[in-house]
Amino acid sequence: MKFKNSIIGGVTLLAIAMMILMPILLPSITLATEILIFALAALACNLLLGYTGLLSFGQGIFFGGGAYTASLVMIHLDFGLLGALFAATVIGSLLAFFVGALAIRRTGIYFVMLTLAFSQMAYFLAYTFSDWTGGDNGLLDVPRPPLSLFGFVISDLDSVESFYLFVALIFALVFILARRIIQSPFGTTLVAIRENEGRASAVGFSTNYFKLVAFVISGAITGMAGALYAMLLNFAPLSNIELLMSENILIMTIIGGTSSLLGSLLGAGAIVLIGDLLSSIWPRWMMILGAALIAVVLFMPGGLWGGLEALYLKLTGKNKSTQSSSSEDKK
Amino acid sequence: MNLYLFQALNGIGLGMIYFLISVGLTIIFGLLNFVNFAHGAFYLLGAYLSFSVVSITGNYWLALILAPIFIAFIALLCEKTLIKRVYHLPHTYQILVTLGVALIIQELCISIWGPIGKNISPPDSLKGVVQLGEFFYPQYRLFVIVFAAIVAFGVWILLDKTKFGALVRAGSEDAETLSLLGTHTHRLFSITFALGVGLAGLAGVLAAPIKGIHPFIGPEILGLAFFVVVIGGMGSFTGALVGGLLVGLVQSLMTTFWPQGASLMIYGAMAFVILLRPYGLFGRA
Repeated sequence: MKFKNSIIGGVTLLAIAMMILMPILLPSITLATEILIFALAALACNLLLGYTGLLSFGQGIFFGGGAYTASLVMIHLDFGLLGALFAATVIGSLLAFFVGALAIRRTGIYFVMLTLAFSQMAYFLAYTFSDWTGGDNGLLDVPRPPLSLFGFVISDLDSVESFYLFVALIFALVFILARRIIQSPFGTTLVAIRENEGRASAVGFSTNYFKLVAFVISGAITGMAGALYAMLLNFAPLSNIELLMSENILIMTIIGGTSSLLGSLLGAGAIVLIGDLLSSIWPRWMMILGAALIAVVLFMPGGLWGGLEALYLKLTGKNKSTQSSSSEDKK
Repeated sequence: MNLYLFQALNGIGLGMIYFLISVGLTIIFGLLNFVNFAHGAFYLLGAYLSFSVVSITGNYWLALILAPIFIAFIALLCEKTLIKRVYHLPHTYQILVTLGVALIIQELCISIWGPIGKNISPPDSLKGVVQLGEFFYPQYRLFVIVFAAIVAFGVWILLDKTKFGALVRAGSEDAETLSLLGTHTHRLFSITFALGVGLAGLAGVLAAPIKGIHPFIGPEILGLAFFVVVIGGMGSFTGALVGGLLVGLVQSLMTTFWPQGASLMIYGAMAFVILLRPYGLFGRA
């Protein structure tokens, strides 16, 4: 038990260490902020894919929905920062509730196609209601209000550093919360559903209820990430809600590795960074993502995190028994 | 009234193209139990290849023959090296691997042909119009309907009347038993995959003079093809034909008054069908 707890602490510490190192090592703090925002979205996707076994092409709905919600309530209703974040989280979870409640009625390929259909519907809805969403031009002039609590201004968040700190704080909170969730009986039930849904159901778990709750949690986090992204860019583009966004979030999650939440941070970091470095010199860098996706699925199912873990175990020469206990911890 | 007739004919043409895309997807799913998310990308590649053949040789007919064959060949290579490794894995893995293939093909197309869309004109002999009663209709669009119908008939003969078709149908029921009975199922799988993907390439060539070629059309085409397959039922030839025509007609008639609504309605209907009749209108439960 003690060993397990140290692993939990270790992973959280690693995540925090990465958050401290990123703004120092990366070329710009805005880039580090973007990584953390996408890491939030990938983490939410990981809860579904890695822990519940649900492949969702609908994450863009919640991401774009969160971005639009936060932007609209800040522009039209003068919501503050936390209010807008909260609104985006609520709308994200409501959208996820709607999509999830319908999609989980089917399994396998039909489930995937339902999320795909909803994703396309959300895109065309956003495109159709261009009076609200700005259509192709996106929603411009999204404000970034100061961070205030009960009328007391804590920070104006005008500088990139302060906004990074704010996003890092949110990421840390969500990360710890998500780890609590997956370690809880609820989380282990999700894993049971992933491993064998029929058996989980036979043991007496109402599997659809668990899948729906996982969906809602995932939608809430993704909606929040979308809101933060709109605040970062001061802009909510239509591409937030495109199918491509859903695919990108999925790819980050898989390349990072679905066996640990830290994988999502690695995946988001790797892809945002590669995109930033390559997009100016080679606009077709997405080709690498395609190849990386194939490679990870076929040859490195653990993703970047799995690779690093294997490397670490090799270097430290830990014996088989610790290796198996740490893999037990993951499951 | 004329306008509706005109749009209905357009819809049938579009529907036949959708059928050609979807029938490949549905055969591959039926026989191989394989979900091909790269199907839309192969359609795109077919359209671009026809653009190159037309701009080099100036001959559309050559493009109509060469491009689909080339696409089928690429699909065969893809199957031999990559796809066959994924057959035994769960659908999730198949989706992710073919999503990767789709991304590579799309980006490859953009780096070869550029990010801006291309247009090709129909062959000279089909540039005119035909007088149908009171109105004029482009010859090329009529040609697409007739040609696609001939191909559809050919595919039906192939699947329903030949030994190859019998093997494909037997394999859809139980590939393992078929293999035990002495059929080289790996070869059957390769040929079927190449055939299905080649049909998507052919659809791309046929559609290029009508719809133009846009580098990001792949995912949209894939979505539509899945919709057709879902309506028709996975693995059903008749389903793909009826579904394709239905989608083509609805889309074409809707575009006259609410274009975005057409897409909204199609994806809404897709969700509806999956929820109420998951095996489609013609599928087997």
